[in-house]
Amino acid sequence: MSSSIFAGVDAGSRAIKIALFHAGRDVVLETDACDQGVDQAARAEALLARVLARHGLKRDDLDGAVATGYGRHAVGVARQAVTEITCHAVGVRFLHPAATALIDIGGQDSKFVQLAEDGRVLDFAMNDRCAAGTGRFLEVIAQRLEVPLDQLGACAAQADRPAAISSMCVVFAESEVVGLLAAGERVANIVAGVQQSIASRVAALAGAARAKEIIFTGGVAGVSGMREALERSLGRPVAVAADPRMTGAIGAAILSAGRDRACPQTRRMPY
Amino acid sequence: MSEGETLSAVGFEAWRTRRAVACAALGRHYDEGDARLAELRFDPSPAADRLWELLLSEEDRLAEARRRGAKIVGAMKDLGTVPVMAYALPGVVAFYPDGAWWTPCLMKHTDGLFARADELGVDDSFCPVRAMLGAFAQGDRFPIPDLLTCSVGAVCDDFSSIAQRVEGLGHPILWWEMPYRRMPEPGEPAVVLPGGVRAPRAQVELVAAELGRVRDALSALTGGALTNARLAEGIRVANRIRAVLRSLREIVFAAPRAPLPALELLVAEMLIIHFCSDRDETEAVLEDLLAEVRRRVARSAGYGRSDDVRLFWVNPVADLRAMREVEACGARLCGTDFLFTHAFDPIPEDAPPLEALACSALADPMVGPASQRADRVVDEMRRLGAEALVVVRIPGASHCAHEGARLIDAVRRRLGVPCLEVEVPSLSDSFSAAMRTRLEALVEAARAARGASSAVGSLS
Repeated sequence: MSSSIFAGVDAGSRAIKIALFHAGRDVVLETDACDQGVDQAARAEALLARVLARHGLKRDDLDGAVATGYGRHAVGVARQAVTEITCHAVGVRFLHPAATALIDIGGQDSKFVQLAEDGRVLDFAMNDRCAAGTGRFLEVIAQRLEVPLDQLGACAAQADRPAAISSMCVVFAESEVVGLLAAGERVANIVAGVQQSIASRVAALAGAARAKEIIFTGGVAGVSGMREALERSLGRPVAVAADPRMTGAIGAAILSAGRDRACPQTRRMPY
Repeated sequence: MSEGETLSAVGFEAWRTRRAVACAALGRHYDEGDARLAELRFDPSPAADRLWELLLSEEDRLAEARRRGAKIVGAMKDLGTVPVMAYALPGVVAFYPDGAWWTPCLMKHTDGLFARADELGVDDSFCPVRAMLGAFAQGDRFPIPDLLTCSVGAVCDDFSSIAQRVEGLGHPILWWEMPYRRMPEPGEPAVVLPGGVRAPRAQVELVAAELGRVRDALSALTGGALTNARLAEGIRVANRIRAVLRSLREIVFAAPRAPLPALELLVAEMLIIHFCSDRDETEAVLEDLLAEVRRRVARSAGYGRSDDVRLFWVNPVADLRAMREVEACGARLCGTDFLFTHAFDPIPEDAPPLEALACSALADPMVGPASQRADRVVDEMRRLGAEALVVVRIPGASHCAHEGARLIDAVRRRLGVPCLEVEVPSLSDSFSAAMRTRLEALVEAARAARGASSAVGSLS
C-alpha cells in the first residue's frame, strides 16, 4: 500500500525524534521522541514502529525515510542521511514560511543558519569544539544548581543582577558557578547569568547577519528564559518554533518526500 | 553519460598488501607505533607511494646526511626562502623542523612530543608546531641541525616564542627579520611582488639585507661562497619545481573529477616550501604525480563524481585525517591556499638573487594584510568556480585568530557562497563526527545553491 507517508528520524545527541509526514495532505501526522540510549539504531526502530502502529501502519507502508542528527549514519531505518542544518532549515520553512534565519541549540551543538528567500540554507555557523553554548552546558549547570530544566526560566525571572559567567569551557564554567555559590551569589542570578552566557555565544555565531525573522529550534528552545536571553543578546525578536524539538525530524520527513526545493539533491528512497 | 573510471583510495591494510615494497617507510612507521597511519586512506598509484615514501623517510634521510658529513640546515618559520638558498650550495641539506607538527597526528602510542613541550611550558594554548620543541628536546626525531634559521617579526607570535624556547635549550638560531608588508605610501618607491601585491622598495631592501646575513652564515657553514651565480642557479631550479607544482594544481583543480585526493594534494603542496630534505627527489615525485594526474584526466578517471561540490580550502589541517573527509562528503578540492601560495609563484630571475628572494618572501600571505590574502582567495575562487569555502583554524596559531573571519566576510560579500570556518585539532578523534557534519552541511548548502534563483553571488 502506498500511503504517501514519509518518516524523518532525528538521532540527536540526547534524544531520538521521529516525525511522520503525509505528502498527499501536506501535513505532519505525528511526532514522538525517546531518550537516545546506547543502541540508537534499535531505539529508533522501536520508536518508529510505535509511531506507525498508532496509525495502523507498518514499515512497508512507509514511502521513504531520511535520518538526521549526529547519529544519522547509524540509524538503519532510513536509507538516506541529511545533516541537521539542512533538516532544521526545511522544518522551519514548513512551519514558519517567512523565516529568514534559525537558531538551533541542541544537546551538543548550537548553530545559526541563514536562509535564502526560497528557504534553502544560505550559510551557517556552528559552535566550536567545546560545549559552551549548548544544551549540555545548561544541563550541567542546572544539575549543579539543583534547578530542574523546566524551572530555569522561572528561576531566572527572579534575578535582580545576573551573574557574569566568563568561562568558555563547561568544566571551568561549572567551577565558576561553584565559586559564585561559595561567594553567596543567589541561584537566580547565576541561572540568569548562565542563560545569558549561552545566548551571547550563540549570538556571536550570527556575526553581522541581519535576519528579520529568527526562529529558535532544538531542545533548548523549550527551556524557559532562553528565548528572552537570545533576544537581549541579538537585539532582535526571536520566535520559538511551533514544535522546536521536532523541527529537524519534520524537515527530514519532508525531505524524504522530496517536497522541498531547498535540498534538490534529495531523492525519494523507496523501501 | 558515463563518468569514466572511478578511483578509490585504499585503506592501510590493502595498501600494505599490495604496495609495501614501494613505500617501505609507511609500513615501518606503522610497525614502530605510528598507528594513526592506519586510519588514513591512500591513493593507490606508484606516484603516490613515492610521495608518501619521501614524506615519511625524512628522518632516515637526515640521519644519512649527517653520517655522510653533509651540512644540515633547519629552516624554521620559512615558507620557501632559505631552503632555496641552502640547496644552492653543494653538500647542504635543508629541512623544515616545523613539520614535526604533523607527527602527533600520525601516532597513537609513541607520541611524546606534545607531552615534552608541555613539560617545557609550551602547552596546548600554542600552535601544534610546539611539537617541534618536543622534538628538539628529545633529540631523537632528527639530527640537530648545523645551522638553524628562523624568520621573526610579522610571523606567528606563538611560533616565535616556541623557537625562542628551542634556542633556550642550547640551539643557537640565526633570526632574520620579516617586516609586516605594508602598502607603499603615495610617491614611495615600490616593487610589484610575485602574485601581484606591492610593497615599498625599502622593505624589499631590508629583507634582502637580512637574507644577506643568512647567505653569509651558509657560506661560513660550508666554507664555500654562496655567490650570486649559485643563488641564481638555485632560484632557477626552485622555479622549475614550482612550475611542475603549478601545473599539477591547475590540472587537479580544472579536471571534471578530482584526479588526486585532497590529502595527497596537501602533502604534495607542502613539499614546495622545504623540498622535504631532498630537492631532486621532490622534483621527481612531483613530476611523477603530474604524469599520473595527466594520465588519469586523459582517461576520464577520478575520485567521486563530476557533480561533487567544488571546495576552496584555506590553511592546512593539523590532523591529516581531516582531509579524507573532503571526498567522503561528496566534495573535491578546486582550489587551495595552504598559507604558502607565494611559494608557487616564480621567484624573479631578472633581479639580483637576494632581492628576488626578498620579493618572494615578502609576498607571503601571512606577512601582509588579511585583506590582501582575501583578495587573492576571492579571485582564485572566482577563477576556479568554487562553490564553497572552508577556512581551517590551526589551534593556538596567532595568525588564525581573526584572519578567518576576514576571509569569510570577503567571500560571503563578494561571491555569496556558503563558508565554513572550523578548527581542526592535532588529534581530531573526538571532533571527527562534528567535522563531518559541518562539511556535509556545507556541501548540502552548496548543492542547494545550484540553480537557485535567489543566488546572491556569481561564480563566473
